[in-house]
Amino acid sequence: MVKIHIDKKPIDVEEGTTVLKAAETAGISIPHLCYHDAFPPEGSCRMCLVEIEGLPKLELACSTQVRDGMKVFTKSEKVVEARKGVLEFLLAEHPLDCPICDKAGDCKLQDYYDEYGLFESQFRESKEKREKKDKIGKSLIHDEERCILCRRCVRFLREITETQELGVFERGIHSRVNIYDLTPVDNNYSGNLAQICPVGAITDEDFRFKTRSWFLKKGESICPLCSRGCSITIEYHPGFSHFGVPSRVYRIQSRENQEVNGFWICDMGRYGYSYLSENRLDKIVINNKEWNIQPTWEDVSYFINQQLKKLDEGKKTSQTVLILNTWLSNEELFLIHKIFKNDQNLERIFFADRPQAEKDDFLLTAERTPNKKGALEMGFDMKPANPGALSDKTDLLLAFGSFLAEQISAADLKKALEKIETKVLFTSHENELNSLFDIVLPTALIPEKGGSLTNIDGKIQKFSPVFEPPGDSLPEWMMLADLGRKFGINSSFYGEFKTPETIAKEIENEVPFFREQK
Amino acid sequence: MEKSVDELEKDQRELIHVLHDVQEEFGYIPAQAISQISKQLKISESEIFGVLTFYKAFSLKPRGEHLITICVGTACHVRGAPMILDEFERKLGIKAGETSEDNQFTLETVNCVGACALGPIAIADGEYHGQLKTRKVDKIIDKLMSTKRNGSD
Ligand code: SF4
Ligand code: SF4
Ligand code: FES
Ligand code: FES
Repeated sequence: MVKIHIDKKPIDVEEGTTVLKAAETAGISIPHLCYHDAFPPEGSCRMCLVEIEGLPKLELACSTQVRDGMKVFTKSEKVVEARKGVLEFLLAEHPLDCPICDKAGDCKLQDYYDEYGLFESQFRESKEKREKKDKIGKSLIHDEERCILCRRCVRFLREITETQELGVFERGIHSRVNIYDLTPVDNNYSGNLAQICPVGAITDEDFRFKTRSWFLKKGESICPLCSRGCSITIEYHPGFSHFGVPSRVYRIQSRENQEVNGFWICDMGRYGYSYLSENRLDKIVINNKEWNIQPTWEDVSYFINQQLKKLDEGKKTSQTVLILNTWLSNEELFLIHKIFKNDQNLERIFFADRPQAEKDDFLLTAERTPNKKGALEMGFDMKPANPGALSDKTDLLLAFGSFLAEQISAADLKKALEKIETKVLFTSHENELNSLFDIVLPTALIPEKGGSLTNIDGKIQKFSPVFEPPGDSLPEWMMLADLGRKFGINSSFYGEFKTPETIAKEIENEVPFFREQK
Repeated sequence: MEKSVDELEKDQRELIHVLHDVQEEFGYIPAQAISQISKQLKISESEIFGVLTFYKAFSLKPRGEHLITICVGTACHVRGAPMILDEFERKLGIKAGETSEDNQFTLETVNCVGACALGPIAIADGEYHGQLKTRKVDKIIDKLMSTKRNGSD
């Protein structure tokens, strides 16, 4: 530990820390462009200059290590002056097309000019004309005029993906970042480039010109598209509820989580968000002619209760089938286990999940089962659903999710389900499968509810609702807690579960794995 | 080409030497050479391209029989380099950075060759012509035409 002062504030930091990181721990932010926590300091942008007592020149905060007794000034007159100068040079060749730049609002250069620049331009010469719309990858557009040559993108491709598609070519005023020989940036992590570019030099075609960043709200969530469970930020427009305009997701960005995904997410997780809004089910669907009203959850839960009661004790355990999946949270799986396995003694519980698919050597896992580890720890043996298992003398089927359709062919499914008297499906999307069920209940997706998932490495990750589920959709945990109460075997126990957190507490009490992880 | 790349140890620090050798032998750096060097030295093509476009000594296109380099550094600029360059461009019918169709001449510019006092300066096949006047341009070109050179620089 060394003792230093930053802006007269005494702080203790580890030896070897840089001035920039030391200042951060004291809540002092030093502007920086080329430095990124994922890479060693490069010291090329000069934005992070600070004054250090006893040293004749200003030093780079990003690459200077602290020494005992060091006195650093981040706001002295000299520093403020130098910062302005650096900004002036960075902006000398910058096109200032913020009004049509997607980065505006999230742009570090824009923010720093606002905070430390605010000078009149002294340049009378016209700026160099350069390539403004160079397609350098699947979904990436490079604007040479906006590039400040911080090389974050080059370093990312060199150090993280090791694919090295981008380089800095030529020199001096002609220096430019580009691909070599028209070989595009093509790897499963390319979308991270638009996110780490500190300015609008790399923009994402998926997002370009669709909205302005300041219209978007941000919410933290977890990606459920594979078993890694990367931390993500969902950027969405909340919609205009008065006018019936629903919320809409505009992009997904990675969120730092050193234990899971570092600073990055894969392109599948980044661009695969259409499922959040497309083909969503927002009303209870009834395909059984005996029902002549549009029921509410109250009616349906009463109905399920009646159906279970109708089956006599001996038959109940063998004639009811439950189909689950690993998009269900720990909390939901716990309730299901309690209600259907412990209280109702059901034996025929199966899982229908997304099949395995291609993995890569970095984050993306072959398993597309975001809570498989949680399901196993909860005590499910996770037998896969198959047509035989479904139809064998079944009277009541309760199914969660629509992944059945990915596991069993439509014809087989139809045949198997025809023989079952009562079929209820809990699902978030419209799907051909839905028409085979008597009742289809709309459910919430991960960003629309609270809970936790256990990833492939056994890390339990909490998530909270970012926006409301569409229409009449409800989180499964809510419906399950309600069913638990209605079934009446241990009503007061289920009555306690008003939030996912209360369920999580009970899980810790009852399931050793979850207690130990804490 | 095979040889010049093969001969060298697989040491990444040798990159510039390798590029020099290739440039020497072919008069430019062909695209196949870049991919071959990349494989052999285990340096990405984008990085090699970065290095070779950084240095003026390397060229990506075959250069002509004769190379004329005009200094357009600050000192030469104020002493009239733009006019000299114009004159060469007009006489040779090519722009700076181009090679004539008959492959006789390549015209390039450079920023300062360290002889500012003698500006404006042109270097024709390695020979320095200082305090140049536009009317001397013809003579320089004529002289080049009457000499054969092997290789280029
Ligand atoms: S494109 Fe962006 S990240 Fe890459 S060097 Fe330019 S400014 Fe930096
Ligand atoms: S690696 Fe998996 S969890 Fe991470 S972003 Fe990609 S699909 Fe989502
Ligand atoms: S952040 Fe220190 S030089 Fe760029
Ligand atoms: S500017 Fe031409 S030699 Fe220096």
